[in-house]
Amino acid sequence: MARTTLNIDLNRVEGDLELQVDLEGNRIVDARCVGTLFRGFEQLLIGRAPKDGLVITPRVCGICGTAHLYTAALALERLARLPVTPHATLVRNLCLMAENVQSDLRQSFLFFTPDFVHPRYAGLPLFADIETAFAPLKGRVVRATLAASRKIVELVAIFGGQWPHSSYMLPGGITRSATARELIDCQDIVDQLLRYYEDEVIGDSLDNWLALNDADAFFSWLDAAPHAASAIGLLTRFARRIGLQKTGIGARHFLSAGAWHDPQHAQVPASLPGAGIYHADSGQLDPFDPALINEHVRHAWYRPYSGGLHPFAGETVPDYQPDTDRYTWAKAPRYGELVVEAGPLAELLTGGDTLIRALLASEGPNTWLRQFARLRRTGHTLHRMKQHLTELAGQLGTPHYLPPPADAFDNGEGYGFVQAARGSLGHWIQVENGRISRYQIVTPTAWNASPKDSAGRHGHWEQSLIGLELADPSDPIEIGHIVRAHDPCLVCTVHFVGRREKHRYGV
Amino acid sequence: MATLLWLQTGACGGDTMSLLTADSPSIETLVRNGTLDILWHPSLTEAPSGRLGALIAEIEAGTRPLDILCIEGSLITGPLGTGMFDSYRGRPKIQIAEALARRARHVVAVGTCAAFGGVPAAPPNPTDCTGLQFDRETPGGLLPPDWRSGAGLPVINLAGCPTHPATITHSLTMIAQGQPLELDGLNRPQTFYGSTVHQGCTRNEYHEYNLEEIQLGGRGCLFFNLGCQGPNTLANCNTELWNGRSSKPRAGVPCFGCTAPGFPKGGDLFRTEKIGAVPVALPLGVSRAHYIAYKNLAQAAMPLRIRNRDMEP
Repeated sequence: MARTTLNIDLNRVEGDLELQVDLEGNRIVDARCVGTLFRGFEQLLIGRAPKDGLVITPRVCGICGTAHLYTAALALERLARLPVTPHATLVRNLCLMAENVQSDLRQSFLFFTPDFVHPRYAGLPLFADIETAFAPLKGRVVRATLAASRKIVELVAIFGGQWPHSSYMLPGGITRSATARELIDCQDIVDQLLRYYEDEVIGDSLDNWLALNDADAFFSWLDAAPHAASAIGLLTRFARRIGLQKTGIGARHFLSAGAWHDPQHAQVPASLPGAGIYHADSGQLDPFDPALINEHVRHAWYRPYSGGLHPFAGETVPDYQPDTDRYTWAKAPRYGELVVEAGPLAELLTGGDTLIRALLASEGPNTWLRQFARLRRTGHTLHRMKQHLTELAGQLGTPHYLPPPADAFDNGEGYGFVQAARGSLGHWIQVENGRISRYQIVTPTAWNASPKDSAGRHGHWEQSLIGLELADPSDPIEIGHIVRAHDPCLVCTVHFVGRREKHRYGV
Repeated sequence: MATLLWLQTGACGGDTMSLLTADSPSIETLVRNGTLDILWHPSLTEAPSGRLGALIAEIEAGTRPLDILCIEGSLITGPLGTGMFDSYRGRPKIQIAEALARRARHVVAVGTCAAFGGVPAAPPNPTDCTGLQFDRETPGGLLPPDWRSGAGLPVINLAGCPTHPATITHSLTMIAQGQPLELDGLNRPQTFYGSTVHQGCTRNEYHEYNLEEIQLGGRGCLFFNLGCQGPNTLANCNTELWNGRSSKPRAGVPCFGCTAPGFPKGGDLFRTEKIGAVPVALPLGVSRAHYIAYKNLAQAAMPLRIRNRDMEP
């Protein structure tokens, strides 16, 4: 059968993303995942003072700067073997939770659901409800989400001065302590978000929602009128009506470096709930070992090396070679030999959410489940924010910052991981004579959007697309659903395109 | 109603996130009340990305008028002057930005990257990027210094990393309503860049009596030792609070001078360069001799409540 190539670019993602897919008839037989931007952040850091990473790396990404800041601080703490107080870890966690809630909500209702308001779906029975709820900037859920996502980042501003882009986490703690004034402000912000989540997103109480623990219980819950009409009810019913529970299988291995650092025992990896590698086929959970992370450049435009390199040995030397079998500026991170998926679904599977594990066991990894897991996670996060605020009340007046010795960062290496909105984020730093000699960042999207590796294994998104049947190759909305369900953030990857395409379409 | 097209170049998306946090007026209010007609925004437009290609063609051909062009991100000219480190459909974004700017009534650089080059333009500037009409401190970037938009104005620089949320939605409203925007020497609207970040800082009493911290995490002033550039940075961070709550210096984070063309400065961002005991960069317009005399007197007058750091910032 004749093979055609489509070049597809996507908006409503963080950054620029292009995909090239080869079709036989309407079926995708090969896929190449490419971004379109190179900014060279890792090079900008070389030669700077170690703490400058706290100012520079948040600027990698406008939507998850707190995650980069937290990771940069952890890497320096590991380098200098610094202790952190429970007070500081509680505030850091709360700020990152707030940022993740913001990102999950905006991704769901500003970036993902607009695809449902697509002319192709106009004849479907639920379409009128979908429009009322999800029409961009105007829908009921969208407007409520804009207000809620604005509200929750106020919590970051209370401790960090502003969101986005601040530098209030330092190796050794945070720049200002929580007092009773701040605590009450934070309680009110979280309560307002909970009200929004219960009223708009789930149509039920948080306790009932988190108590749902198997697939049957969930689907009968979904039948009740207030649940069916909620944002997650509408999203689920519509997504399943258009078959999103059957697309986007992908790598089948899920990586999480843990969700939250325990304030009483701050350590890497994070343990609330724990880190791990979850295998979809066996349902088995293996421990997470940071030493197994390695990055390949066989199909990327970097100076070639063989196999994969651990980030401490990693190099980023651009070597643009158009019209070869290299096709991207993104490296291919692998966990040992495994292609893995990162994100909320991975976090809940390794963390032991029984509903999510049951849904995965019955239908396998899929596009709807990924999006559903993201909104389910928001419930867990809000629940944990309440717990954290209660704990923080008991820490008022305790130290928030333990100043490191003056020479703490002169030489050495360190790394850190956090759970950013899109999945596990890692930073690796090496310092010589008080200056950064190497800085490597592996973002969640780097895992998901990776190209082929040295062994020819496709990246996770590429795998998710291969085999997909497009209804109309000139309007491949199915690809938009699959990729946007991962909440792509391409601003941290690097890239451009120089291939001749046969056809080009946007989604 | 003013038509608006928002193009991201070498961006992190932080200014878009800042736009979404503006609450008075908010972006959805400006759309619903008919102030702005957003032809395209990469994060907010529901139409597929192919729509952008059609819009660019129509605007370039002059068949669709464009009132406001917003550019977010540095203008990347590498590798080797091709601009292909940042492309849309095989065409360098710098070429698209230039072509659209030629047709727009107003061109707005949202953020320090688009205004001056910003973080990616810091040494060694691995992508050879620049701002729209400045290259760091030097006039002339992607566009020459004497370039003017359809309305006769230079590129309007809404500097900041990111731009203050209120600065974005207020400026867009003023442009849409045809209100005059008085610009400063760096083409930033006076009304948002007319006071120092120091003004309104809740650590001002500590500065006033010369109680300067030597380590982070405390209550005192961050200017003398910890890299704070608040007294010589023009922005509204402390006169119009971020997210309705606070500002970096209030929270104990130094001002890194992110609205200035030299942001980020070289060296160590958490350290103040000094001559003797006094910073090299003094508060705007202050003479060294007067400043030293004033600081010595102020320190002598320091009340105990400041010396003991009793005052909550």
